Amino acid sequence: MKPYTLAAAAALAGLATAACAPRMQPVRAVQPNGAIVRSTQEHDVAHARARTADERARLAQEQDAVSARALGDCTPVLCNAIARGEVAVGMTREQVLAATRSGTAAWEERGGGGLATLTARDESRGPRDVVAELAFVTLENGRVRGYAYREPQGIRLVSSAADATPQGTARARAEALLREGDEMALAGDFDRALNRYDRADVVSPNDPAVSLRIARALDKQLRPYEAAIRYRLFLHQLEIERIQAYGGAWAQYGAAVAEARSRILVLERGGR
Amino acid sequence: MNTLARGLRAAIVTGAVLVSGGCATQVTRISPDQQIDLSGRWNDVDSRQVADAMVRQSVAGETGSGWALQYMQAHGGRKPTLIVGSIRNRSMEHIPVQTFVRDIERAYLGSGQVQVVASAEERQEVRDERVDQQEHAAADTRARLAREHGAQYMLQGDISQITDREGGRRVVYYQVDMTLVDLETNAKTWTGQHKIKKIVEQPRFRL
Repeated sequence: MKPYTLAAAAALAGLATAACAPRMQPVRAVQPNGAIVRSTQEHDVAHARARTADERARLAQEQDAVSARALGDCTPVLCNAIARGEVAVGMTREQVLAATRSGTAAWEERGGGGLATLTARDESRGPRDVVAELAFVTLENGRVRGYAYREPQGIRLVSSAADATPQGTARARAEALLREGDEMALAGDFDRALNRYDRADVVSPNDPAVSLRIARALDKQLRPYEAAIRYRLFLHQLEIERIQAYGGAWAQYGAAVAEARSRILVLERGGR
Repeated sequence: MNTLARGLRAAIVTGAVLVSGGCATQVTRISPDQQIDLSGRWNDVDSRQVADAMVRQSVAGETGSGWALQYMQAHGGRKPTLIVGSIRNRSMEHIPVQTFVRDIERAYLGSGQVQVVASAEERQEVRDERVDQQEHAAADTRARLAREHGAQYMLQGDISQITDREGGRRVVYYQVDMTLVDLETNAKTWTGQHKIKKIVEQPRFRL
């Protein structure tokens, strides 16, 4: 091969390689190597600190004003509730703010004509009292008519002083668990339904409605001995209720009593 | 001859001194603000850039501090409590995340917006000390048990890396994502992000 042919081949190969190489616009450095760039952290933190201090001072001022107004015209029962940090029926708007230790910016007010509803402006972290997070507060003519807590079992309404007692709270929570259990029983998931009924039984013991549901769930799960025990417990609880309030309990559970008795007979015969 | 030998000896000694002086370790103290990149790998410059960006995003401006101010408004001026969770390094490099995590913690504390509690790693030592005090410290100086602050938010994050290489050139891209998660509801309250891109060119032949 002649030398000029070789040179031409080499030049062609070089060109081909250059043509295949990735092409790129020239890069532009945003910071040259070795440059001195001051940190912005101190400035940002100082600015945030000043802003937070202003906001906290404003909130403290607002809180003081609200507390003064709230405690100025409260009855002993409502004053105690504010001191405990618990919302109560009959409170004014200021007393609700004082009881929840929240400011006006935390609430959104809707309604009119003597009836208003306070809801949390930020639903993810709404105001709460000592019991739980509040879903909403209903005011009638400036006084709390009812309120609702956001709880794991759902919304729990409080519309009277009795609802706010430990017994009332337990009853409402048990009812929520029973509702949840019923939904699961409807879907055929008796394990989970039984779990909810058991939890309701712990929260609100000696409730015939809970015992009957547990008995039925055990019966459906083909656990006859435990079901029979629960049916008997249900009848026993009704006996006690009958003694306490003659007639009423039997009327409410007439069909259930008959069902429980017949199931006990069937389950006992099956067990022999 | 004598003069020549003396001159040669002097030349050798001077040469030896020069060579040894040339090979000696040289240290120059420089400002931490000076940005020096040598290998192109993650270094203090990247760490500080991430810290600066995250601090700005987390405590400054409406989006950064909005959640903390909202919390204060809903809770009578009480500050939210934050715990630092894990910052995962999903890159191929060794990246000490503590440097910028400490900067962020410091910024939160300095801003007065948030209360920061000891992380899962840090608190065990404190708990051990507290338990020890119940036995050995005077009654009026004991730290009481079960008085820890429960956090409402957890700071989590990760660092990802994408590298592209061709010949002696390498493009490295880092993305640092940080998220603040509500411990009760799992809601993501705040997210911060910082991206770094570098082109590293290495000569094919070096002396």
